[in-house]
Amino acid sequence: MSQLLDVAGALYTRIPPTHRPRVKRVANYFLLRGAALPARRPVCHGRRVVFVDFESADLEAYEFIGPAKGEALVRARRSLVSPGTETAVLRGLPGARRSFPYVPGYSVCGRVERVGRGTRGLEPGTLVAGRMAHASHGIMTPASMFVVPDGVPPEEACFIELGIIVLQGIRKSRIRPGTRLAVVGQGLIGQLAVRLARAAGAGPIVAVASSLRRMASAMKPGGADQFVALEGEPDAVGGISAEIVIEAVGSSRAITTAMEAAREGGTVVLLGSSRDLGRNLDWWEIAQRRRLTLVGAHIGALPSADASAGRWTYRQEGCLFLDLLAANRLTVSDLVTWRASPAECNRVYEVLAEGGGEHVGIVFDWDHLAAEAAGNRGSRNAS
Amino acid sequence: MKQMRVAVVGAGGIAQRNASETARSGAAVIAGVYDVNARAARELARSLGGTRVFSSYREALESADVEAVLLSTPHHVHKSMTIEAAAAGKHVMVEKPIATTTEDAEEMIHRCRQAGVALTVNYSFRYLPKVRRAREIVESGALGEIAGVQVVSHQFKDPGYWMGGRSNSPDDWRSSRAKCGGGFLIMNVCHTIDYLYYITGLRGTRVYSEYATVASPGDVEDVVSVTCRWGERAVGSISASSVMRGADVSEERIWGTKGTLVLDTGGLSFYSTRPAGGKKPGRLHREAKFPEVSWTAEWVRRFVADVRAGRDPEISGRAGWENVAFITAAYGSLEAGRPLDVPSYSASVETPELVS
Repeated sequence: MSQLLDVAGALYTRIPPTHRPRVKRVANYFLLRGAALPARRPVCHGRRVVFVDFESADLEAYEFIGPAKGEALVRARRSLVSPGTETAVLRGLPGARRSFPYVPGYSVCGRVERVGRGTRGLEPGTLVAGRMAHASHGIMTPASMFVVPDGVPPEEACFIELGIIVLQGIRKSRIRPGTRLAVVGQGLIGQLAVRLARAAGAGPIVAVASSLRRMASAMKPGGADQFVALEGEPDAVGGISAEIVIEAVGSSRAITTAMEAAREGGTVVLLGSSRDLGRNLDWWEIAQRRRLTLVGAHIGALPSADASAGRWTYRQEGCLFLDLLAANRLTVSDLVTWRASPAECNRVYEVLAEGGGEHVGIVFDWDHLAAEAAGNRGSRNAS
Repeated sequence: MKQMRVAVVGAGGIAQRNASETARSGAAVIAGVYDVNARAARELARSLGGTRVFSSYREALESADVEAVLLSTPHHVHKSMTIEAAAAGKHVMVEKPIATTTEDAEEMIHRCRQAGVALTVNYSFRYLPKVRRAREIVESGALGEIAGVQVVSHQFKDPGYWMGGRSNSPDDWRSSRAKCGGGFLIMNVCHTIDYLYYITGLRGTRVYSEYATVASPGDVEDVVSVTCRWGERAVGSISASSVMRGADVSEERIWGTKGTLVLDTGGLSFYSTRPAGGKKPGRLHREAKFPEVSWTAEWVRRFVADVRAGRDPEISGRAGWENVAFITAAYGSLEAGRPLDVPSYSASVETPELVS
């Protein structure tokens, strides 16, 4: 088999580059069916967002093999853009370099259309949330799929993965009722951190950002008590003096800001995905003299099993996040600043590549795409 | 020929390539690796087969096992690191550009000369077979007197490039004019300018530029246009940009009274009214098949051979100085708002009273 692939690879390099995409499509067509047929699984169709190049996205049709046992074919209703991670890939930032085309997205809510042969306990029509790309249809696996409780709308449930990312950070911060908290960075992760910290009893909460552009959403009910913009007032951070500071940016500059915002003996929780190197830091002045505690809290260190009292599993965090939404102890839909049709994905990612403007939560509305497609079919039939 | 023992200094993206090609050259062996990012240094040392990791630059310079340093470090530290190496009696192989100013380059040249160590700059594109063939064609007289030189260098550098996204040691020095000396012109097009000097034998004598930072982070230019005079009579231009989407071009056209030579990514084409380069006159000839060679390894081999023979390196500090002189004059012309003469090496560098 490997010899066959070597021969195919050698032949492929002899094809003129302009013809390669077509050859690749034809080859994929047969390879997919060749894999689906013996497994007795259908070939499914959908549309998905693809990064075609740096700073450029497009919506494309795609095919995939239907669900295996335990898996579900999900028709997406909403998918949430993870602004930090997806923008990092889009711009080729350190630690996030991928080859193109690249399929982004990992936080989706949708309805089960079909389950794999032999699957029990999951019925078509169930509303689920979990890891899936930005696509009209895709496969969710049991390990990363949650049944959405009644009353939680798709627009809130699609926050599932980002909710888990933030919840595990909140847990590691050991927030107590009345903890004076600061959150550095007021992007989506930062604002979610503010809300989940409040749900955990923290307060007062100071939101720290580089500029004022996201103040309006950060100060909504359930959000921060105070907003500090460092633009033009860089010394303001020294007066924050928080017991716990959550860093939600992922840059060495933000980590430094977080340490400066902590009071003596305070704790700094590193929640952002760090993408650069901190150099030339005066560790004595910034951390040692002030007896700071640094807590690593990246999602990558979350256990899939074997939780301890202070370390919940991925599944536990996901269920808790959905329960908080169901009990109305947490609201996230008001963080959505752009409800975009997937057909607008090129514009969405262009805005993100340029810094995101005032946007916080961006959600793709896949129902809108389905309605558009139905409308087009209707108008074709009418004509 | 005795192999040269080289300390690799800097372990980022280009350093890894430079180091592996140096080892592959057969003319040198890697005596150890140093980087301010210790993890990057360890990883590079491991990939080189488990060579030594120096804990500081000073330790590398004090090692009797080191004959030369290969500096693949940010531009703004080339000068100080070269001077330290020269003082320690080590030969210096420095990544292009030699420095960010002619004054710095001059001091590097002087210090190396005073210390009796050799200095070379990594303008190894000269060793591309295509470039050497182009020089051969020009030297054969196929073009007659050169009338014009035009460069089009359009490509896309993603935002992460300027922040070290392609490196294992992210740093934003590339986006800083103070550290880098400029942007796309000094970082990338400097190679083209160097090999055009090499091919034509001409030097830029007067320049005027317009440049801007349109899309890239930091304050380094990502679009630049230079009008220049080459030698006495030839005239040319450089159009370069790192924000070209979907239509990359890398092309140099050299034309003269008897013919034309075009270099592009696929090879070269030339036309001559003379039977030159073994080809019939009056026809356009295309040469696209060139042997695959490691230009970096060739640079190392030539340098070691020159040092062992007691000769000045083929790509000397002078080549580095002349390159920076052209580029800084181009940058300076925008600030001055008028064309500037490109300083000449012999006049400003080799004058004895200027030697400190």
